[in-house]
Amino acid sequence: MPLIELRDVTKSYKRDAIDIPVLDRVSITVDAGDFLGLMGPSGSGKSTLLNLLAGIDRPSRGSIKIGDTEISSLSERALAGWRARHIGFIFQLYNLIPVLTAFENVELPLLLTSLSKAQRRDHVMTALGIVGLADRVKHYPRQLSGGQEQRVAIARAIVTDPTLLLADEPTGDLDAKSAGEVLTLLQRLNEEFKKTIVMVTHDPHAAERASHLLHLEKGTLVEQTVQRS
Amino acid sequence: MGLIASYNLRSMIVRKGTAAMTAGGIAMVVAVFVMTLAIAQGFQATLVSSGSPQNAIVLRKSSTSETTSSLMRPDVPIIEAMPQIARGADGRPLASSELVVIIALPRKSDNQPANVPARGVSPRAFEVRDNLTFVEGRRFAPGTREINVGKAAVGRFKGLALGSDVKFGSAVWHVVGVFTADDASFESEVWGDVDLMMPAFQRDGYQSMTVKLADPSMFDAFKATVSGDPRLYLEAQREQDYYAEQSRALTAVIRVFGTFVTLILAIGAVFGAMNTMYAAVAYRTREIGTLRALGFSQSRIVAAFLVESIALATLGGILGCLLALPVHGLSTGTTNFSSFSEVAFKFRITPGLLAGGLVFSAFMGAVGGLLPAIRAARIPVARALREI
Amino acid sequence: MKFVGLILKSARRSKRRTFLTVISVAMAVFLFASLRAVLDGFNAGAEGSSSTRIVTQRSTSLIFTMPTSHAEQIRNTPGVQDLTWANWFGGIYKDPRNFFAQFAIEPESYLRMYPEIILTPEEKKAFLDDRTGCIVGDGLAGTYGFKVGDKITLKVGIPIYGQQDFDFNVRGIYHTKGGAVDNQSMWFHWKYADERSVAKGQTGWYVAQISNPDHAAEVSAAIDQKFANSPYETKTETEKAFQSSFVAMFGNINLLLGSIAVAVVISTLFVAGNTMAMSVRERTTEIAVMRTLGFPSGTIFMLIAGEGLLMSILGGLVGVGLAWLVVNPGVLPTGGFIPEIGLSTSNMITGLGLSVLIGVLAGLIPATMAARLKIVDALRRVA
Repeated sequence: MPLIELRDVTKSYKRDAIDIPVLDRVSITVDAGDFLGLMGPSGSGKSTLLNLLAGIDRPSRGSIKIGDTEISSLSERALAGWRARHIGFIFQLYNLIPVLTAFENVELPLLLTSLSKAQRRDHVMTALGIVGLADRVKHYPRQLSGGQEQRVAIARAIVTDPTLLLADEPTGDLDAKSAGEVLTLLQRLNEEFKKTIVMVTHDPHAAERASHLLHLEKGTLVEQTVQRS
Repeated sequence: MGLIASYNLRSMIVRKGTAAMTAGGIAMVVAVFVMTLAIAQGFQATLVSSGSPQNAIVLRKSSTSETTSSLMRPDVPIIEAMPQIARGADGRPLASSELVVIIALPRKSDNQPANVPARGVSPRAFEVRDNLTFVEGRRFAPGTREINVGKAAVGRFKGLALGSDVKFGSAVWHVVGVFTADDASFESEVWGDVDLMMPAFQRDGYQSMTVKLADPSMFDAFKATVSGDPRLYLEAQREQDYYAEQSRALTAVIRVFGTFVTLILAIGAVFGAMNTMYAAVAYRTREIGTLRALGFSQSRIVAAFLVESIALATLGGILGCLLALPVHGLSTGTTNFSSFSEVAFKFRITPGLLAGGLVFSAFMGAVGGLLPAIRAARIPVARALREI
Repeated sequence: MKFVGLILKSARRSKRRTFLTVISVAMAVFLFASLRAVLDGFNAGAEGSSSTRIVTQRSTSLIFTMPTSHAEQIRNTPGVQDLTWANWFGGIYKDPRNFFAQFAIEPESYLRMYPEIILTPEEKKAFLDDRTGCIVGDGLAGTYGFKVGDKITLKVGIPIYGQQDFDFNVRGIYHTKGGAVDNQSMWFHWKYADERSVAKGQTGWYVAQISNPDHAAEVSAAIDQKFANSPYETKTETEKAFQSSFVAMFGNINLLLGSIAVAVVISTLFVAGNTMAMSVRERTTEIAVMRTLGFPSGTIFMLIAGEGLLMSILGGLVGVGLAWLVVNPGVLPTGGFIPEIGLSTSNMITGLGLSVLIGVLAGLIPATMAARLKIVDALRRVA
């Protein structure tokens, strides 16, 4: 059952009056429950594609449909609300807010909902439990290791129970051991919790964990692989 | 050091928004500083230039001002006979017996009645106070109800223009001349024949006598002669000392007030500069680490940032001085409470004041930049290089 | 409400920067509130004046006197209920620098017409019974340590009163209510001064009590009419106008203090606005992350603006507190010049209001910058 449908999506940037094409008429279908890996050399447009899926950027041409929503036609404000409900984003550099504790960082997306304080607490503790950091709730990001920070970031991404998890080089800044832990977590989220994940990566170890692989080069799709169904 | 300086300059330009705001804050402080002190300067200048080094003023013993002094008719010939007084071409002493009364005239600015000093003088007053020049008309004719008006008074109060008729002391007086006096307080006054003004105001004596000494060095002798004469209950002061004293209290108040306000504002601006410099240091941590790794010493780094802060602040200071300049020469007035009369004076910005403003701004920059500069120098090199 | 927590935590980001900015705003508010208090102090006399008292003085100037024999004519003017008079003494207490107001008054009528002067019945009787007695304000008593029973000697300042010193017995310390009378003055019997005066039976100004405040102008005109074209031409006006003319003597105080206030505000806007802009610039990634999480631009705007507002209000509280400590006669040496000085509630509210204004204005641009941030550009900067 297709969750994501990209049709003829093109994206170009204007830099000093020159049009730089980053994605060229890309069409992709992702089914619910897929763990998709996006690979390709630097400048291939994979991060751009991720940004388009997240709704934090708009395609120059083409349509992006996630679930029943044609997100390319939503207004900025509607997009923000949609994003809050449907997307969980994991960054390469974790991007936790330094003045907030682990608990408060994970709680952040819930502030946009109408849940009560007690309800928010439940969700946060559940999410932190899943990533295995329930004992670090009061710690600030500077008190956590890189791997722990990324796991808190993952907890933040899943706390709203989003339709789609998007990860941009989640292991790019981690040592081998932490990377392994994070990838195991992601795989678990996909296989056990049935989360649809789109992950951009360079890392072949990361790519191994995905169920599907897409290769991009110079803004176009060059290869599609199925690793498991 | 030249490379560092241009590095600083370029860094400032890159962050021009922040730099501009910081300079702006300092500019405001300097502008307030210059403007308020210009008031004090102007007021003092007016009163000080009212005194001539060659003149002396004779008042009742321990009187603090003309208006509370009294000098009787019989005293006049005694003083005029004293040898230290200069004589005119006709051999008669250069002395003026005077009486200052207050008349109420509406101010041009707010139509409110103001206390305008009307000075009854002897005809020789124009020789005694020789820095008076007539810009319109002529001297009043003695023995008539003709009057002369100072230029500042004409500008400040209604109904004093050349040819006007002014009503006071239950009589009508006619303006026949307008004079300037180097911005001295006399320019705020109305002058007329003292012997006609006295009865008009129901007075029967003078208040003071102003005399021109044959030579300024004769003052001490003159003073001794006046004090030593048992017929007189009077004492002499140098005219300059008298006016300096008149301005002292108010000038001090204005200066204290101006300094206080400026200091408080300065704290705010210095803190703003500190913020900016701390942010600059944080932003350029990696650069600093690189410079240190290349061999630039800690003191060089401190100097560099300090110079940057001072330069930025001084820029603000220049801006502030420029902002303040338009008030120079602006006319305003206040009441000299010793004489209970209104004195018109001008805002007076001197080069000294501007220099003071610039020094002040540099000082603010130094204070604001010191701690951040020290911090910049203290960052461990290895850590600095790791910063993004 | 939950966002308030976010705002508070954000402010702790850089304690030093928050501290510096709070103090900057505090200084501005301190100055502003103090200047307003000083201005109010200047105008206190006029503000507190009674609408049923009118003052008659010589039309030429206050320094000329009128005969006390004119009292009957003024009293007989329709609309006049009561009358008193006073004269400026201008004496010197030990040193000319010890300036305070001394008035020679017609004692019984003056105290009757100025209920703002509060004395105990014993003090009042003692004063009225003693020709050389005087009453001093509690503020003045505090400054020079005067007590009931003390002797005050004044040197003559205005030559009309001769050359001999005047001795007074302090018979009472008065308190005041309302602004029409200050607590920094000394009042004594007019007769005592008149005895030694070279010009007998003269007074500086009359104060008449009128029955109907709406008729002030007519009664004033009627009084002046009686003396028009005589050697003692008068000018009668409301007490308020009389008091206001003294303030105007200093010069355009309103303009001066107002201009300084404007400079203060602008300077602080620069400083506060700069801080907030810096703060936003440092947090671009964070802001982008929050936008990615789905925080709408409007909420981001509110968060940043809220932070600015919080710092400013904090600064405002500190500034008002400082002003409250400094602006009182115990600390500020305004003494004889500005008798009533203190920080009123209205001054405090104005000060806090200013801090809110600064917070709003200074935060406007940074908050807009943060709300308008292009997410992708901001994220790309780091990774």
